[in-house]
Amino acid sequence: MQARPYQVCRSCVMDTTDLQIQFDAVGVCDHCRVFQQKIQPSWVTDERGRQKLNAMVERIRAHGKGRDFDCIIGMSGGIDSSYLLHLAKTELNLRPLVFHVDAGWNSQEAVNNIERLIDQLGLDLYTDVIDWEEMKDLQLAFFKSGVPHIDTPQDHAFFATMYKFAEQHNVRSILTGANYSTECIRNPIEWMYYQSDLVQLQDIHRHFGTRPLVKFPTTSILRHKVYLPYMKRIEVVTPLNFLPYNKSEAMRLLADVYGWQPYPQKHFESRFTRFYEGYWLPQRFGYDVRRVQFSSLIMTGQMSRDDAIERLKTPPLDDLTIAQEKQFVASKLGITVGDLEGYFKLPKRSFRDFRSQENVYRIGAWLLKSLGLVRGGKR
Amino acid sequence: MAAQVARISQGWQALIGIVDYGLGNVQAIANIYARLGIPAMPVRDPSEIGTAHGLILPGVGSFDWAIRLLDASGMRSALEEAVQVRRRPVLGICVGFQMMARESQEGVLRGLGWLGGNVRRFEEVRSERRVQLPHMGWNDAMGTQPSALLDGLERPMRFYFLHSYYFVPDRAEEVLLSTDYFGPFCSAAVCGNVMGVQFHPEKSHHWGVGLLRNFAERVAC
Amino acid sequence: MLRPRISPCLLIHKGGLVKTVRFTHPKYVGDPINAVRIFNDKEVDEIIVLDIDATVAGRKPDYELIRRLAAECRMPLCYGGGVTSKNEFERIVSLGVEKVAVGSACVSDPDLISRAAAAVGAQSVVAVVDVRLHEKTGQYTVFTRNGLVDSGIAARDFAVRMRSLGAGELLVNSIDRDGTRQGYDMDLIADVRASVDCPITVLGGAGSLKDIGEMIARFGIIGVSAGSLFVFKGVYNAVLINYPKRAERESLISASL
Repeated sequence: MQARPYQVCRSCVMDTTDLQIQFDAVGVCDHCRVFQQKIQPSWVTDERGRQKLNAMVERIRAHGKGRDFDCIIGMSGGIDSSYLLHLAKTELNLRPLVFHVDAGWNSQEAVNNIERLIDQLGLDLYTDVIDWEEMKDLQLAFFKSGVPHIDTPQDHAFFATMYKFAEQHNVRSILTGANYSTECIRNPIEWMYYQSDLVQLQDIHRHFGTRPLVKFPTTSILRHKVYLPYMKRIEVVTPLNFLPYNKSEAMRLLADVYGWQPYPQKHFESRFTRFYEGYWLPQRFGYDVRRVQFSSLIMTGQMSRDDAIERLKTPPLDDLTIAQEKQFVASKLGITVGDLEGYFKLPKRSFRDFRSQENVYRIGAWLLKSLGLVRGGKR
Repeated sequence: MAAQVARISQGWQALIGIVDYGLGNVQAIANIYARLGIPAMPVRDPSEIGTAHGLILPGVGSFDWAIRLLDASGMRSALEEAVQVRRRPVLGICVGFQMMARESQEGVLRGLGWLGGNVRRFEEVRSERRVQLPHMGWNDAMGTQPSALLDGLERPMRFYFLHSYYFVPDRAEEVLLSTDYFGPFCSAAVCGNVMGVQFHPEKSHHWGVGLLRNFAERVAC
Repeated sequence: MLRPRISPCLLIHKGGLVKTVRFTHPKYVGDPINAVRIFNDKEVDEIIVLDIDATVAGRKPDYELIRRLAAECRMPLCYGGGVTSKNEFERIVSLGVEKVAVGSACVSDPDLISRAAAAVGAQSVVAVVDVRLHEKTGQYTVFTRNGLVDSGIAARDFAVRMRSLGAGELLVNSIDRDGTRQGYDMDLIADVRASVDCPITVLGGAGSLKDIGEMIARFGIIGVSAGSLFVFKGVYNAVLINYPKRAERESLISASL
């Protein structure tokens, strides 16, 4: 297949490292167009948004009457979930149970931030610790498979555990920090395939795992997009989409009020994700997720395109840090840096090389978009 | 310093050689230097001693055990040459520091004699109080003379100690740090290119990291 | 001025970190290296890691794990579990571990303490005193093999014996209070403290920083260790590594001393 000539969007900073990107006649990419045409028109953060949010909050409070908590909030220690916590308790007057999944890669800043927020907001925390031997084996299986989306085990475990808890304890509302403001442009699936695709996860495990997955929590797209919402009436709510959410203001507020410590880059609250997004993905595949993150901020007026271009000139992690992180990751996974470098040199594969439910996602997305229930999203 | 480091890195020589004769937390010291981006390597062979610009002599355990292991490593004479003849900076840690004295009450073997002084056991009673031994835990250290080795360290300086014996220098001028444990004792000493610390800088968080960095700066000059 | 030491104690079971209650019901709380890493960044005074399987399973110490812990640890490390010989003491110390703790072995072979002290120095030899209040005799008694075997020896006598044989430190661990968070066993500790002159570290029962403060107020220079307190948080016992910040520790110490 002929290589495309390099092109970068004139409006955001997505470029042809997204293999499926399309540009229109004026050089604006389809990510931007989808945002402008499909997402932006119905994304309301003014009074109307506030009203919708209030209605949701009332519902959540009603369901939670007489219980110790009225919703659960998935908390990674990152900016979005941290701000959500603050909002939920201080403005929305909800009584959340803070839910944290420990996959073994918590950074020190994340642990500190979670602790600070819990203490100062007077909230209860529940953690689920993923069995490390199974987690490690699954992560190594993903390395050995050669696919780009090696952070799937963490992501998958996070959601699966939350859904499982919600179902077991009959919790009707799960709040997450997902938001258009910093995530309206999504990662292309070539870069990060759907972490919830259980068929893919199991196939990769079948090929390269060395021990059975017994304790590792799993979920599937049909389970949490159909069964849980429609059968068990468990809904996932994204409050940050109904109010103006400005990332730097949120960070400032959290720092001032709680002494919250920022991370060098989005998602760096997990040491593995830092390694993955800061080194593995860009250097092995040429996929720099900062393009996606900065493009979202550009689209929502929180960053200038020039600023993004400038920042993209330097790699996310310098060589010394990369060497240290490789050492840390290898040591933690019980392999040598040499082994890790071996995985780095494997032939590059994609999600298509393994079994998947991609069809289900495609059909489902088409269906939901046709029904007007969902806008934009990953291609 | 950065330029010096860069020059040395290109020539793959280590700025700092950490003498690995079988005792002491060589890996912890190496890790600290790795994090600081300063080239430091464990040294296990006499030939490697010569290429290092500065040396660290770690040590834990008992005096005789350490001396015996150092002798058995075959590096002793190369060390003597580097330190006494070529005057390379050397930093002794804990028993590594004690080894640099003439002798110790803890053992029967002779020390390296690079520092003028002896090693004694803490008395059972000091300042009329019963002394709990070993001296174990975090204690303050006060500088008794200005030194680049202590640059930038947060005051009061604090380090981790774990020992029952301490160095007594012949001359007060050689005391760099003094620590109070039922009365003052010498917690660090310096004599020309020879330096020693009784505490464990590799286990003393940012104070220790700072001291190790300062030692590297000294070596690079 | 020498400070009291406040040390997290981590238990290792099947390669993973666990917390127990009265030495039973191990609950998985995560990966030891990650925990050490987080404690590093919190600049803790020192850390104790005990392999609770080794002796019972008749295994040797896990040297690979010890090597990794020692390399990762930026604070002083005391390691225990499955140590039965002087050679093992030497090997563990040479891997970069400051102190080695021994429990069951020094009941059956008390002289191990003096051999180890002669080899690695008393400062690196820690005698573990796992204690239950005996139902029948009402005496504080030493139990071995992870709390399963009644040694018949009174805690105080054992402490004195270990000290006289050359132990540099005693780790006094209340099995009855382990994981209960009801406070340290003051009587037990006072009894041992009065009978030996070496450093002691106490473990078992810490429920809050106040308990730690009480120990310091009562005994001055002492090692205060805790497991559950630094690993769990809140009513749901959420696993979240925590440790008081330097300012909190300073005020705790100055308020108590």
